[in-house]
Amino acid sequence: MTRTTPRPLLAALWLALAAPSLAQAAGPAPGAAEPVNPKPTRADWIAIADQPDLSGVWTPGPLDKYPPGNTTEPKWLPAIKPIYERLKQLDAEGRPQNIWVDCLPEGLPSSWTQTLNSLEFLPTPGRITILGELDGNRQRRVWIDGRPHPADPDPSFSGHSIGHWEGQTLVIDTIAFLPQVYISTAQGVGIPNNGDMHVVERITLTGPDSARVDLVVDAPHVLAEPWKASRTLIRHRERSFDLAESSCRQGDFLEGRDKDGLAIWVPLPKDDGGARLPLDQAAIPASKEQKR
Amino acid sequence: MTRAPLLLAASLALASAAQPAFAHHSFAMFDPSKPLQFEATVQSLQWTAPHAVVWVQAGPVGTYGAGLWSLELPTSPANLAKMGWNRNSVKAGDKVVVSINPIRDGRRAGQFKKLTILATGQVLEAGNIPGLAVQPPK
Repeated sequence: MTRTTPRPLLAALWLALAAPSLAQAAGPAPGAAEPVNPKPTRADWIAIADQPDLSGVWTPGPLDKYPPGNTTEPKWLPAIKPIYERLKQLDAEGRPQNIWVDCLPEGLPSSWTQTLNSLEFLPTPGRITILGELDGNRQRRVWIDGRPHPADPDPSFSGHSIGHWEGQTLVIDTIAFLPQVYISTAQGVGIPNNGDMHVVERITLTGPDSARVDLVVDAPHVLAEPWKASRTLIRHRERSFDLAESSCRQGDFLEGRDKDGLAIWVPLPKDDGGARLPLDQAAIPASKEQKR
Repeated sequence: MTRAPLLLAASLALASAAQPAFAHHSFAMFDPSKPLQFEATVQSLQWTAPHAVVWVQAGPVGTYGAGLWSLELPTSPANLAKMGWNRNSVKAGDKVVVSINPIRDGRRAGQFKKLTILATGQVLEAGNIPGLAVQPPK
């Protein structure tokens, strides 16, 4: 043997080659084929026409702080309730402890219960995609191809969603939320789910252009019992309702020019609650300080 | 005096009655008990999500010094467009009368409520989304 490959290099090569099979080890059983999303057939596309029609742009209906059919607040665990009450009090006093000022996605359940922004459903074979008009068109993928949740999914803001139809109702089961995702009852009042949250959504067509979303939110580390909330939706076919790009961070900046005349973003100061301020008002004037 | 078609009579009543509930940040930092109305000159309409902002220059207002005000609209361009606004609804140099709820900490900032363009009498508000009879302003 005239040439030898250094051992570390061999090891690296082995790792690189083995990586795909190592990755698979956590998924399908050894020897099983890698699951694929099959090429849709003509029949698959035609079958969508027989599903209840969720197409189009939907606006959240009457904004209810505690949505219809649910006039009670979430029942928090005893250790959580005083924290929640404190947040409510601060909000009522005009000192909101804003929970979304960083513009991270709302996630469930707040993307239903707190949003004021339109959304649309895009049905394709095996899946329904939900696009929202915030967070740069936040999106959720709801798999309706019969797959189970992964054994160990990466946590995310909107979690991992699988769904199926029960008559006119799309039932969505979602797990794998980041523990930081809020369960909120106002824009400044919310408690992190703290892990292991499970959300079931039932989206039901209630008329030609109306629908209702019923949520059951189970968050065993903060809620004493599952919280039930609902939201109504109204469909709009007018093109003026077509979803627009809507980047949550864009409002943090003014359009400006740099010294070379190039278009740039100029960061704006904000108050603790997220209100945009003039550049010369970043600090509270000394003469007004006592007002706080 | 002409009134803009987007001005919905109902929105005024709702505006005062509705709980503040706005996209992406609470508006509780603004004080609805101390509404202000003053003349100003539009500097720009910041047509951005999650909230648009009308920037106006004003002379001294009460205890406030002269300067630039940020008047934050309670929702996004997409929703405002559904209420009849567009990014040219007001233009730099427009003389206006604005109605706002000022921020509680005394800085020159507030929640936009209403604006009248003096040259035309046009009134701009952030009212309801058409088709949603009881949707509060946002």
